[in-house]
Amino acid sequence: MRIRIRHIILMGFSLLFSISFALLVQVEKPVQVTLKTTQKKYQAGDKIMLDFAYDSTLTFQLFLKNSYGSTLLTSSSGQFIIPEYLAKKRGTLDYFLIHNSKCVFKGDISIHANSDTLVELETYIGPPSIVAGDRDYTMHVVAPTDRYDNPLPDSTKVKFKHQFLGAEKEYEELTKDLIGWRNIFAYEKKGKLLVSSQIGETDSKEFSVEIYPALPEDFAIESFREHNYADGNQIITFSTGIVRDEFDNIVANGTMVNFVIKNQEGTLLKAQGTTVNGIALGKVLHPSYEDVWQVQAFVNGIAKSNTISVVFEAVLEDFEVDFDTSNREIVVGPLRSFMEQIIPDGALVKLEIYKDNKRIETKVKTSFEGEVRFILAEGFYPTGDYDFDISSLGVTKTFKNITLQ
Amino acid sequence: MIKMNRNIYRILVVISFLGVVIAILFIISQTLTYLNTGADRNSMLHVALNKEKVYLPKLVWKDTINPGRPIEKQTMNDIQTDYLNAWYVRNVAYQNNELKAIDDYYTTSAMQNIVHTIEANQSNQLSIHGTTITHNLSLDFYSADGQLAVINDSGVKEYQHVYKDNQLLFQIEDISNYKVLLLLEDGYWRIRHIVKNENSEELEGLISNGFAKVIEDKIYVDQHEYQMKGINYYPQKTPWDMFGDDFDIEVISKDFDILKEAGLNTIRIFVPYVEFGKEQVHPEKLQKLQDVLDVALSKELMVVVTLFDFYGDYSVLDWTLTHRHAEQIVGHFKDHKAILAWDIKNEPNLDFESRGKENVIGWLKEMIHQIREHDPNHLVTIGWSDMESATLLNEEVDIVSFHYYKDIDDFDNDFSFLDVQVDKPLVLQEFGLSSNRGLWSPFGSSERNQADYHKTFQEIIKKKNIHYLSWTLYDFQNVPSSVVGGLPWRKHKQKHFGFIDASGNKKEAFQYISH
Repeated sequence: MRIRIRHIILMGFSLLFSISFALLVQVEKPVQVTLKTTQKKYQAGDKIMLDFAYDSTLTFQLFLKNSYGSTLLTSSSGQFIIPEYLAKKRGTLDYFLIHNSKCVFKGDISIHANSDTLVELETYIGPPSIVAGDRDYTMHVVAPTDRYDNPLPDSTKVKFKHQFLGAEKEYEELTKDLIGWRNIFAYEKKGKLLVSSQIGETDSKEFSVEIYPALPEDFAIESFREHNYADGNQIITFSTGIVRDEFDNIVANGTMVNFVIKNQEGTLLKAQGTTVNGIALGKVLHPSYEDVWQVQAFVNGIAKSNTISVVFEAVLEDFEVDFDTSNREIVVGPLRSFMEQIIPDGALVKLEIYKDNKRIETKVKTSFEGEVRFILAEGFYPTGDYDFDISSLGVTKTFKNITLQ
Repeated sequence: MIKMNRNIYRILVVISFLGVVIAILFIISQTLTYLNTGADRNSMLHVALNKEKVYLPKLVWKDTINPGRPIEKQTMNDIQTDYLNAWYVRNVAYQNNELKAIDDYYTTSAMQNIVHTIEANQSNQLSIHGTTITHNLSLDFYSADGQLAVINDSGVKEYQHVYKDNQLLFQIEDISNYKVLLLLEDGYWRIRHIVKNENSEELEGLISNGFAKVIEDKIYVDQHEYQMKGINYYPQKTPWDMFGDDFDIEVISKDFDILKEAGLNTIRIFVPYVEFGKEQVHPEKLQKLQDVLDVALSKELMVVVTLFDFYGDYSVLDWTLTHRHAEQIVGHFKDHKAILAWDIKNEPNLDFESRGKENVIGWLKEMIHQIREHDPNHLVTIGWSDMESATLLNEEVDIVSFHYYKDIDDFDNDFSFLDVQVDKPLVLQEFGLSSNRGLWSPFGSSERNQADYHKTFQEIIKKKNIHYLSWTLYDFQNVPSSVVGGLPWRKHKQKHFGFIDASGNKKEAFQYISH
């Protein structure tokens, strides 16, 4: 048996205890609170007072919680005036009436954005630049607030306006989730898109979005040069036609164009240029020997040009070579160009020296006043028979068994 | 003599010269260091920020479908992190009435609202310690340029403890919905608007599978009535460090055989909070716990798992970290058939004085809720250190546990008194006597006294049909100072509560380990 006399006595005690406790509570009286204020909805900035009816001999505190934080008010009269910084913020304001560390009454009021005040428009537009055509777009987002910086309620009408090359458009959207927004798709022309918005009487500032030309299409190239001779001196200029996108917009300035040149040996040469008003230029020095160039230009990975062919003619057929008596001084030239004129300084002359059919040295010099002078010093080239290959401007002359003394 | 003096002067001059040089160098280096702070890449890019997780409320993305554009996973993480940080810095701000880091997570105009409230609170000497427990996010809008987002945060459960002049006035718990407009500025997702909407009700948690339950004052496991006959268990070699480096499942398995043979059916074990990895529970520790539970299941022993051992913060801002700890452990074992109950904390009433009773009770109450949310299948209890505290939170727990180390003669009375007040199963979760007679305690109890004590206790237990867990199986050779303090006589006492002595021999009391 679990129940014994001791148990019963204990039960009695505890009963007594609980009765006396109940009496004690009775003495304290249950707290009677009623809310006299009946209004539940306010506009931001309104004067808000919560008026409670309760025993004024007791102390109460009102705990308030809104979107941004919480605070505590004390009042002896039962009238709590909500401080301005809480009364002007949109959202649900919870209140808890506290007495003796217990919440004896709780409720909430809702504060709405004040639509009577001036509206402020916060505008976010992005991306700030888009590409012409019908695929790319920019997003125009408006976060309207009242003068207390509260977001306006859902379904506020917002007018979205934009202007582009003589076209002015206006659309109306309703706000939802604190914002109103609209996508603006690009036009087929490049240019500046001007954007603004309006709510009621309030207009936003002007914003601009750049519409850049779309990707370049294939294009044509041409070349320009002073003459056809491979003199290694003049410069040949390659030029694109006007590079355009699929909508006939001239591509954006600064579009990089690579000119790729392939010569007869298969060597690749490269020149680079960026477009200005759709035209890019690339410049290369003429070759110094007879050659045929195949030239094509690329906007890497996007567009290419046609291939053109450029022919360079040899500038001379032969040149003189003089050996002095000891054969240790070799004078090449005078080198004469296409009109028999002395070739401009700087033409390359290469001397290859062979001994016993083995090349022992290559000397390279540039011409000065049409001539190049090689001196083979005794210390480096002992007396004996040598072979020489001398080449310049695509012509090579061979001299065998020249004896250096 | 003069020469001597001169040398002393020389030394003084040299030393003071060196001193001045050192001082000047120090000043220059400090100045350079100061001028360099703030401009290093680390702080400009905020990479070192928030490395340590300090705020971890449960956050769920309900959906990200929005009319703007699809969101990237990375941006979602960024928004989530910055949004939670915004709550954290706001909670800290209201706690300390300081605006630290608020400007990182709120735009200038949004920040004004917090500034006003803090000014008011400061002039009224108010301090509000708050935390949020759950967030359920859905994305309402994400702009094409990825610079603006609107999120809806529903069912935000928030706790606030309000202090005035450092005195706790009251605690408030509520659930709200928020609509938030965030802007990406300087690499931070900053709150531009936050609007609190109509409050909502709490979402329903998991539904129990009915494995362990309490009907009136009886415990049922798998539909059968369960009478707890058990012991608090630590391995002999590793008391208070059961899951450490010396963890040996073989030893534990053998011990379980001893317990089973002695006629016991339940053990109580302890999961230390810090050692298990705090908010980031170590998988290897979880595995060790799993091993112990699996062995217990195979030996037909049920386990009361005491969580948060050696935890002692309880501050509101620390709550979310403990919730993540509980989630990972409790959620992992929610279907384990060896677990009888989760004991939230061992003797939390001993922390009332140092940590504040309201803090501790508030933490326990929410923790009970958290544990039920992650595991509705097992019972929940709290290991109160005395009978007086046992009625606290008795509405919230499933079974009421208490410890009894007072005079055995008073037990009958005290227990009856408690039994009348509480209509849930009562568990005598710790009791025992140390056979510590010796150098440190010449008038302590002998092994014979200990045997008599347990004999008498078992008689009472049998007569009143009490659920019990005695303290403890073994005498220990080492007791960590963190358990009873560093005083040798207290340690000595704690070493001799066992039924089996330090050399492995059964003490006289062993025959009364069960009835």
